[in-house]
Amino acid sequence: MRHIKVLLAQFPLETHSRGIITVAGMLRDSGMEVVLLGNATPQQIVETAVQEDADVIGISTYVGGELTLSTDLLNEATKKGIRDRTLFLLGGVFPPRSAVELQKMGFRGTFPPSSTKEEIVACIEEGMKAWT
Amino acid sequence: MDPGRTTKEILNETRSQTERTPLYSPAALEKLSNSLDQWLNSVVSDRDREQFHTTPISLVGFDLPRSLLYTPLNIAGTTYEDLGFPGQEPYTRGIHPNMYRGKFLTMRQLCGAGSREQINQRIRSLLGHGASGVNLILDAATIQMYDSDEPEAKGQVGTVGAPIDCSEDMDTIFQNIPIDETSVSIVTHYPQNTAILMPMYLVMAERRNIPWGTLQGSVQNDFVMETVVRSAPQYISPRNAFRIQCDNIEFIRKHVPKWNCVTLNGYNVREFGTSGITEMSVALANAIETITEMQRRGYEPDYTGERIAFFWSVASDFFGEVARLRAVRRLWYRIMRYRFQAKNPRAMWMRCHVQTSGLSLTREEPMNNIVRAAYQALAAILGGAQSLHVDSYDEAYSVPSEEASLLSLRTQQVIQAETAVTDLVDPLGGSFYIESLTNAMEQSILDELDEIEKMGGLILAVEKGWLHRCIHDHIAKEQQMIADGRIKLIGRNYLRSAEAKVPDLWVHENDAEAEAMIGQKLRLRREQRDNQELWRRIDNLRLACRTNDNVMAFCVEAVRAGATKGEIRRAFSEAFGTWTPPRWL
Repeated sequence: MRHIKVLLAQFPLETHSRGIITVAGMLRDSGMEVVLLGNATPQQIVETAVQEDADVIGISTYVGGELTLSTDLLNEATKKGIRDRTLFLLGGVFPPRSAVELQKMGFRGTFPPSSTKEEIVACIEEGMKAWT
Repeated sequence: MDPGRTTKEILNETRSQTERTPLYSPAALEKLSNSLDQWLNSVVSDRDREQFHTTPISLVGFDLPRSLLYTPLNIAGTTYEDLGFPGQEPYTRGIHPNMYRGKFLTMRQLCGAGSREQINQRIRSLLGHGASGVNLILDAATIQMYDSDEPEAKGQVGTVGAPIDCSEDMDTIFQNIPIDETSVSIVTHYPQNTAILMPMYLVMAERRNIPWGTLQGSVQNDFVMETVVRSAPQYISPRNAFRIQCDNIEFIRKHVPKWNCVTLNGYNVREFGTSGITEMSVALANAIETITEMQRRGYEPDYTGERIAFFWSVASDFFGEVARLRAVRRLWYRIMRYRFQAKNPRAMWMRCHVQTSGLSLTREEPMNNIVRAAYQALAAILGGAQSLHVDSYDEAYSVPSEEASLLSLRTQQVIQAETAVTDLVDPLGGSFYIESLTNAMEQSILDELDEIEKMGGLILAVEKGWLHRCIHDHIAKEQQMIADGRIKLIGRNYLRSAEAKVPDLWVHENDAEAEAMIGQKLRLRREQRDNQELWRRIDNLRLACRTNDNVMAFCVEAVRAGATKGEIRRAFSEAFGTWTPPRWL
């Protein structure tokens, strides 16, 4: 298995961090390299992903607006030429309908609060395998 | 106050000095001890005897072992002086002599999602159904103090709370609500945000010709929320946030005397990821530093303490939660009485708002959450809380629907009107188990408070990252216990249904059109005000930040001239500079 680098971020005004800290720990325990960016705009997230050469961008969201901001995130990734070589994941509290929309838009996985480490890690590993 | 000694040292000393009358005679205890041994060895099975003490494991729990059975031996050292009568020192059994017979707790359901008009309608609907207080929650932009049209706010306006940019927005939210007769809690979280939103509320009252002296309610105003719990694009330092916290207290205490100027928020600290013990030790440490700072400013502890309130999470360890509320009530009394020599009973009352634990709600089989929240609500009431919000079953999906919100209110009303538990005071008091657990909780909270004080106090502990580390480690430990099944959550990791159905629930969704309109309205307001006057007042505020002047007084002036939350936030960060919090990893 190749080395996997994950960038974890929250949209700018997100106030909840338990989810992102939990997932950061899970991914580290699974041998991945984790960059915990915290609150950032879609532009800042993509910029950091480019600098860090991240394979995965994971977003943690609890306060709504996930569809609007994820659209911006994907557009920005296209602009910077990393969309096709980045795996996009999103976790947190969001309506079931958003999960369907996000997957249509190109998110590899969406993870509500009850998601397990195994589910998240499997999603990333399978996504990486699909490329190489 | 003796700065050389910790609170624990002071309390231990006074404890040995106070008169104590044993409840049990030594002979009775000895006889009991013998017969207990006999029972243990002849009736109890080997297995039960070996596992006589176990530690129940629950989400955000306590790590306190429990025995199979409690007897007077567990409380042999407890005297009736440790309990007292309700409405009397040490207030273990309640702060009022008649508790809920006199007045049931304030039923205060959180409210705020959608447009300001919709929020106004929801508040009025809950009041119409018998709610006795308002609890206004804010959207992400308002909580983080960004204007609705700042780029960072995109997509996050009006999604999970009320969007408030300037004082006029309060007009719509509180239209036709008698704010001079209704207790209003504004969930401001941070000192900075309290210095922004409280003036907006006060200036709204001014426009309605309602004197500030008649206003009742509360704000949070807690620097731990701002510098530890909050996740944000930018921070000011704990020291500066604490200074604003105390400025707010000073201003509100003087000008809005019936208002609770600080509600130390244990809830969000615990729900973020700490034990129920840390939740309380951190809030008490903050209270102690606040009262000490106010003393330095020339205010008596009796004066400050009278309007300090607490906000606790009540989770699923039922008796543990009841005991914990009783324990912190007694401990707060002891701190005020012996550390600060308070004389005013109100200043010694641990008055609290409780919210049932949001963390304990599952997305799977959401109707189970109704049951969880009802038990938690009952624990809050048996623990003697003053005010309550019951979480709704759909909160793992969305802010509550109108139906779910009403059900939460009904949960409280069923307990009040149908269960008869509110007809007497402290029904569980005197139980060997509850009293023993109350003692253990009090000791654990005091031990942790001692740890914080020995580190040099809470502000220093936050600056050094102690609380950040506590939270990080707790989250990791708890996650492991959920993964390996030691913490059981029905429907999620225990007795999970084979076929997980996505329930058909109403969810609140972001409305881009409404967001655009809010932005437009805000831009129009900025054009219509006297901008020269406004910026003069904002300059004055910046200056006040750099001197020792009370910042809230200057915020009121700026808000009167039409200042928006984003403008005041920027003035604060410019004046105070920014702070990099300790890293989570």
